[in-house]
Amino acid sequence: MAAAGYMLHPACRVRQEGFGLLFYDSRGPRLLFAETGSLLDAAFIENLHQIKALPDNLTTQQKNSVDKFLGQLLERGFLREQ
Amino acid sequence: MSNRFVEQGLRAPVNLTWEVTLACNLRCRHCLSSSAEPAADELTTREALDLVEQLHQQKVFQINFGGGEPFMRPDFMEILEACHQRGIMTCISTNGTLIDADLVEQLSRNRLVAIQVSLDGAQKTTCEEIRGKGTYAAAIGALKLLARSPIPTSINTVLTTQNADEIPALSTLAEELGVTLRISRFRPSGRGADNWEELRPNASQLLAFSDWLGRNENIRTGDSFFSLTSQERQGLGLNLCGACKLTCCVDPCGKVYPCAFLQSEFFTAGDLRQQSFQQIWEDAEIFASFRGLRIHSCEDCKRFDQCHGGCPAVAYHLKNDISEGDPECLERCVTSIADSTSVAV
Repeated sequence: MAAAGYMLHPACRVRQEGFGLLFYDSRGPRLLFAETGSLLDAAFIENLHQIKALPDNLTTQQKNSVDKFLGQLLERGFLREQ
Repeated sequence: MSNRFVEQGLRAPVNLTWEVTLACNLRCRHCLSSSAEPAADELTTREALDLVEQLHQQKVFQINFGGGEPFMRPDFMEILEACHQRGIMTCISTNGTLIDADLVEQLSRNRLVAIQVSLDGAQKTTCEEIRGKGTYAAAIGALKLLARSPIPTSINTVLTTQNADEIPALSTLAEELGVTLRISRFRPSGRGADNWEELRPNASQLLAFSDWLGRNENIRTGDSFFSLTSQERQGLGLNLCGACKLTCCVDPCGKVYPCAFLQSEFFTAGDLRQQSFQQIWEDAEIFASFRGLRIHSCEDCKRFDQCHGGCPAVAYHLKNDISEGDPECLERCVTSIADSTSVAV
């Protein structure tokens, strides 16, 4: 799982919005509007460093989507390796 | 920047400007809030700390502290600490005169603060003509202290006709000091309104600045120049006014406004002594009108998608109508120069 070993970058914050997740990177500053709907909540991203597995209620397809999304967040600097 | 998400309304601002006091030991000629003496009924420490907690509950990411001079407020460090304890990022806009080694050491204890020191010219005379005697050395002294600390630090310069030619030199100065450069737009509010005609950059200077910005992507503008953004900087920041959508302003007495340049009774969204911040953000009529604001007179402009009509505050101060287009946008600067050239010919 992509989440393992990653954490929200200390310069970044995330919160829940109607469309999904809003990320803020103070280094730009820059924003990322992630249209994740109710797939993930902000607490999941904030506590990523403690999470060992994706939530059981997700389907395989959803888990793949989350993995891909986390990979994109890492690439864009919103996540970093622990 | 996704306008679609912004325009449908966020649950809270991304950041906000909090002018914590009107007290200031300088009398800068372009001061947006005419700062001098503290207001009679500024928020008490308790009220200020309550606001910090409200902003934390709403998950506001960052507070940009200004004034006045924030360090003139005796409890400012307590307010700052309350923000950092809650994980709120902060940026302090200061004139640098009260910054010494002890203060830098205190501020360095956490990694959630950034500081902007105001400097309005690469030359001492240029800066002091606007900010007053002794301000150049004080700002440089503060910048040197901060540059040796882990605190992200920038020079903040308000672009005026006097310093427009010194912007490249300011960039070099920033580099030599080991800090970054941020350029802010001069707007006709506060003492800036009184001195507008004397200090405002002319159309040629604005165009030259836009061109220079396009070649210097590392220069930050706090998105205050989105109406002048060249093609080269598209994607680096906003392409519309963020007031009431992404940001707002709290004054020293707890009144809430769309932005720091529109602090008048007409634009008052609410009073934190009577309502919660959340109530104001969600229910204020003036915020709703800004969120729905469309600058129809600019819709046929080829640059409309790049600035959406520009800064409503400048339009209000110069044309008394927020729904007019920004009088200093890139397109109008080009037209203005073309017109004056035609007349000359």
